[in-house]
Amino acid sequence: MARWLVDPSNPLTSRVIVNRYWQQFFGIGLVKTSENFGVQGEHPSHPQLLDWLATELVRTKWNVKAMHRLIVTSATYRQSSAVSPSLLARDPENRLLARGSRRRLSGSVIRDQVLAMSGLLAEHQGGPSVKPYMPPGLWRSISNAKYVQDHGDKLYRRSLYTYWRRTVPPPTMMAFNAVEREVCIVQKEQTNSPLQALTMMNNITFIETSRLMAERMLREGGKSPEDKIAFGFRLSTSRFPTSDESQILRDVHRRFSQRYRNDATAANALLGVGEFPRDSSLNAAELAAMTMLASTILNLDETITKE
Amino acid sequence: MDPRAEHQLLINRRHFFGRSSAGIGSLALASLLNDSRPASAAPHRNGIGGMPGLPHFAPKAKRVIYLFQSGGPSQLDLFDYKPELQKQFGKEVPKSVYPDDRKTTMTVGQKSFKTASSLFRFTQHGQGGTYFSELLPNLAGVADDLCVIKSMHTDAINHDPTITFYQTGSTIPGRPSIGSWMTYGLGAEIANLPGFVAMTSRGSAKNGQPLYDRLWGSRFLPARYQGVKFRNQGNPVLDVYNPPGVDDGTRRAMLESLSKLNRIKHKEFGDPAIQTRITQYELAYRMQSSVPELTDLASEPKHILKMYGKDAQNPGRYAYNCLLARRLAERGVRFIQLFHMGWDQHGGLPQQIRAQCGDTDQPTAALIQDLKQRGDAGRHPHYLER
Repeated sequence: MARWLVDPSNPLTSRVIVNRYWQQFFGIGLVKTSENFGVQGEHPSHPQLLDWLATELVRTKWNVKAMHRLIVTSATYRQSSAVSPSLLARDPENRLLARGSRRRLSGSVIRDQVLAMSGLLAEHQGGPSVKPYMPPGLWRSISNAKYVQDHGDKLYRRSLYTYWRRTVPPPTMMAFNAVEREVCIVQKEQTNSPLQALTMMNNITFIETSRLMAERMLREGGKSPEDKIAFGFRLSTSRFPTSDESQILRDVHRRFSQRYRNDATAANALLGVGEFPRDSSLNAAELAAMTMLASTILNLDETITKE
Repeated sequence: MDPRAEHQLLINRRHFFGRSSAGIGSLALASLLNDSRPASAAPHRNGIGGMPGLPHFAPKAKRVIYLFQSGGPSQLDLFDYKPELQKQFGKEVPKSVYPDDRKTTMTVGQKSFKTASSLFRFTQHGQGGTYFSELLPNLAGVADDLCVIKSMHTDAINHDPTITFYQTGSTIPGRPSIGSWMTYGLGAEIANLPGFVAMTSRGSAKNGQPLYDRLWGSRFLPARYQGVKFRNQGNPVLDVYNPPGVDDGTRRAMLESLSKLNRIKHKEFGDPAIQTRITQYELAYRMQSSVPELTDLASEPKHILKMYGKDAQNPGRYAYNCLLARRLAERGVRFIQLFHMGWDQHGGLPQQIRAQCGDTDQPTAALIQDLKQRGDAGRHPHYLER
């Protein structure tokens, strides 16, 4: 059976696999029904390309990394994802790949990304699952078990390590269309809901990482407020803001600064969110204002989208 | 033959009408259904989301409030009057009534299964003469607004597969819940509250059987159709409130700049998903004010609070959830589901079932009367007995 599956004269296994890699990078597989290549499945959009990738995977002795490299360094993958109205009308799903794909990141990647930008991410590999922040009483409310949250480094590990109780999965992940893990699933539709916006704006992880990112902006971002803002913007989007964008961010930063200069209690309350100690060498009002600015940047469509 | 051409030949009717949203089949089908739909069947108010062409008949019910008594209330002590049992008291239950394959791991080792009749007195109520036990005096008072179904059963004999079956139609996890299907098919009525809300409460008798997110989950349907579970402590909706130190003015300033920046991006990139994101933040902001308004019971008159009983204002209690269910229904939430735990009486039934009925009898009856006197009950709430 194992030999038959990977026999070079049987291209079916590799077709299914490369199609899933394609789906991972482009959002939609060359065969859209990645779970079904049979009679009920959909015809591939680029049959020759799929055949070639499938045989290429076999030829390179099933080298997965080489296949990933081949896909992500292709001209197709590196296209801009900007789209004109006429192209959008002709190919709304981008099946013909005349542009790069543009997809919202998954819940776990969004969390990992903000942890990385803030410098909080614990990068060591392996080890047991961890129990990061969860809403109080999450398990107790419907089961007889109790969630005991971890502290320190364990709060900031990649989402891959988050303890997963299948009957009560982490709600913030579920809001971002995570798979429940009760049954195997090959693809899950990515939808948007206001609950995602509430998570990004108010959840403890996102406020704490905004504060840590603000500390970096204040310490490492340069002298002027513009430079500091540009530093944070670049951390999350990999580019500098345009002058229009910079203007909008400077304006709102001014409003935040005014607010927290006039209300030290509010500033301290905001800075008290999360367990990671705050950098006490930084001025509280300045840090609070920059925290709100970092939060604004984290909430940008561009930050949570792969384009 | 060229395998590709061969595959093309396999395209059948199912393909034509099935698959993608861009497929001609589904477009044609949707417009056909739309055209033949009677005007009266148009979704009232503004249907958000939902399948094109649904509902295909004029709906009588507007909303559903589903009060799920989780764990298995003893029907013999509540609705199912069995006078014959008194005569059989103490005798062995015949195999024909309780065959071996219905025994669980908990009972399979038991040698003797003696018949026990209910301790509680049954009387008839309403014009329909429905029997209720003395444990449910308030529910008996609304007897004619209820329909008691005594024939429901499942093939499964354990809690988990049974309640999974009740909520999803299958004993095996992996299918969407009833509320998800509803929201998927009919869409939501309003945008500033979720279309499908689930609430849970602990029973007074015991901790009992756990619940699972799958009971209001959307499984293979998109996540936006999953029930939003109101938390039974703190903020009802997760992360709905601003973090400490962020007031409304700060939030608005943040959202205004965010919206401006996202608009610039949309202008450059043209991706409609950016437009969706902008709307999503506007909705989130509206939810930030509609949820606190929903849970602020200050506007409820005293006599209404009294009607729901002593726990009407205690978050996490069944009575509170009943009152919240009415408030959600009033605001246009289409599918509201309450799960009350602790109905799993093995030993200590007399005392435990009294405690459970103490939680539910008065608030359930109050909810029915409250909806009725407001004249917008639609259909009767479904009091599920299992």
